[in-house]
Amino acid sequence: MPLRHASRADLESLLRARQLDRTLTTSLPPLDPHDEYAIGPTSVTALDAALGGGFPRGQLSEIVGARSSGRASAMLRMMAAATGRGELVALVDVLDMLDVESAAHAGVDLSRLLWIRGHVVTHPGLCADMNQRAMEQAVRALTLVLQAGTMGLVVFDAGEAPLEALRRLPFTTWLRLQRMVEGRETICVLVGREPMARSSAGLTLHVTHPAHGVGIRFNGRLFDGLACAARVLRARARDREDASATFSTLAREHV
Amino acid sequence: MSEQSAPPPCPRPCFACLYQPPMLNDSASSALRLAEYNLAQGIPSLSRGAGSARSALDLVSIAQEFSPRYQRHRDDLVTVDVRGLERLLGPPRVIAPEIRREAADRGARVHVAIAGTQTAAMVLALANPGIIVIDPGDESAALSQLSISLLDKIPQDDPNDSTNAIAVFKRWGLRTLGELGALPAADLAARLGRRGVIWQAIARGEDLGPLVPDLPEERFESTLELEWPIEELEPLSFVLTRLLEPLSIRLERRDRGAAVLHVTLRLVTAEVYARRLELPTPMRDVRTLRTLALLDLESHPPSAGIDRVTVAIDPTPGQVLQHKLFTRAHATPEQLSTLLARLGALMGQDRIGAPATIDSYRPGAFEMKVFATEHRGAEDLAVSRGRESTLEAEVRSAEGCQLVSALRRCRQPVPARVAVVDGRPVRVTSDRRSFPGGSVLACTGPWRTSGNWWNTGSGGSVRSEQTCLTCWNRDEWDVSLSDGAVYRIFQDRETDRWFIDAIVD
Repeated sequence: MPLRHASRADLESLLRARQLDRTLTTSLPPLDPHDEYAIGPTSVTALDAALGGGFPRGQLSEIVGARSSGRASAMLRMMAAATGRGELVALVDVLDMLDVESAAHAGVDLSRLLWIRGHVVTHPGLCADMNQRAMEQAVRALTLVLQAGTMGLVVFDAGEAPLEALRRLPFTTWLRLQRMVEGRETICVLVGREPMARSSAGLTLHVTHPAHGVGIRFNGRLFDGLACAARVLRARARDREDASATFSTLAREHV
Repeated sequence: MSEQSAPPPCPRPCFACLYQPPMLNDSASSALRLAEYNLAQGIPSLSRGAGSARSALDLVSIAQEFSPRYQRHRDDLVTVDVRGLERLLGPPRVIAPEIRREAADRGARVHVAIAGTQTAAMVLALANPGIIVIDPGDESAALSQLSISLLDKIPQDDPNDSTNAIAVFKRWGLRTLGELGALPAADLAARLGRRGVIWQAIARGEDLGPLVPDLPEERFESTLELEWPIEELEPLSFVLTRLLEPLSIRLERRDRGAAVLHVTLRLVTAEVYARRLELPTPMRDVRTLRTLALLDLESHPPSAGIDRVTVAIDPTPGQVLQHKLFTRAHATPEQLSTLLARLGALMGQDRIGAPATIDSYRPGAFEMKVFATEHRGAEDLAVSRGRESTLEAEVRSAEGCQLVSALRRCRQPVPARVAVVDGRPVRVTSDRRSFPGGSVLACTGPWRTSGNWWNTGSGGSVRSEQTCLTCWNRDEWDVSLSDGAVYRIFQDRETDRWFIDAIVD
């Protein structure tokens, strides 16, 4: 059938025949927000309301945003909620930047957290592709974890990774990962500066400050925390797209 | 007309007891006495000298020659269930000399008694040197004339118990086991309690419990000699599977799991290359064990081709994992072990694990622990959380409205250039492309922190390199920059240099 004559329904039926309908961008019916086998709540009321109950299981989701936009805080909150439900959590920490105290303070049950620390070369020198290799190694680790299918939540934290290194990863990487997580009860979340998985992504949450320069709160001599705004950029359940929520973070006191 | 044969009668219980009496310490006189004894008993001369130190081993090995059902009461006293040996050796009157001959061949001088009960056989073996065989049902009569002092030799938990009991029996005028056995059981129990009844049962030759066989620890080992040396891991996986499959079946039959997996490879250079894998949980799944062994060999490959493979397993009681119907299935320890081994091979063992906080004020301090392969289920977790106080629950609920500001740590602090006006940073830049920096919009600080300075070198004047890495003395600032980022920066008070320590995110 010539492609130009194919209707959307025909294309979807072709994709379905090749079992690619869920992998690609076909919209899915809204998930039951109370179905714990389909949704993993973040335990942030406003965020869960915007997401339709939480992050979907069996999909490759993303949390994207600029530096200091609250991505890591949201990520740790998700991990705390997952370990609180008794699930095991794996964190593929591409640049080895997890602050363990922050995780503990956020309520993450550290004994249930499998921390996979990436190799980072601070000064690669002449071996300029060392960090690219570290990125590929982290993706392989993510693949192993998803293949095992033993975790309730798998987080790939590339929030501070160079964009070039991420862009050099083949697009099929994310397609393959999406196929791996499909049909499982695992929530897979990629954390980065900009959307990585593109059409393989199930749900993309963009985190930012409500307005430039006003999201960072200083209270006298104390740094108070961040005010964050989250917006759903993409969701398989189309009715969730463009849903937004605001939340804030609270800084810990210096010791 | 065909004659239907009746089923063979169930053989009556028959026990042999082997007792090795203590020997003199002097080896020469011991050998002389033993030779005299053997001559008198018509036993051929011994092939090797007897020693009390190996008596336990000897008696057990003698017992194993006749039956797998034996119980070792003491090093010098073993009971063997010889029921069913009639068809193989003959009646008990033949079995007893056979046992004694076997003992003599091994250099042990033993008393052998065969009776219908373990207790009677034991008492008779303790009382009579040489061989004694009692027909079933005659146990009580055979014991009746033996001295009551024999009770002192019976194995028991409390040695003083028998001494006290014998003293009491002697005060009552009892001299033989028959007299004790003839006493009314109820009156005896009224005076001595349950122990009195037990002593009387022993005196009558009655068993107090069944024989509890000692099973030798089975060795789980398998070896394969290869006609052609193996150079690569892929063909080795087939060899490992072939070796592990029968071992796994044997483990399952014994309800055992592997605690430690030993893989020993003999190389073509005649060198022996051994690997030892301590498994986090008892397991016997062939695929898991093979994968773990292969991943370990992948990380630590042998230096040459392999021409013999030996797999040995240290067994431990097996573990059954029961999933629940209405809760989400958890990862099995085997799955997690395999995942950890794969990740360890890819990233390095020191790069994976469970993080843990440590008792230190050092910024960013943490430690890595081994990720456990067994975790409590969600229900158990809910039950334990249910024990939290109401106040804790309220605090948790209040925290639910607000997130904790997380930091992203730079494991190696990034050197920065900081312009300071009136003691406060006004501009932060760095040479790193990923940290462009900018002017400071707002800042808080300084927060002074220091530690581990007390571990300086000799007299505090010289610091070792290790100490310099662990001690700190810094002023920390939280700064919001014009590029929209919030950093935690610090000035090292020893060197006055500035660093970016973490990103607030």
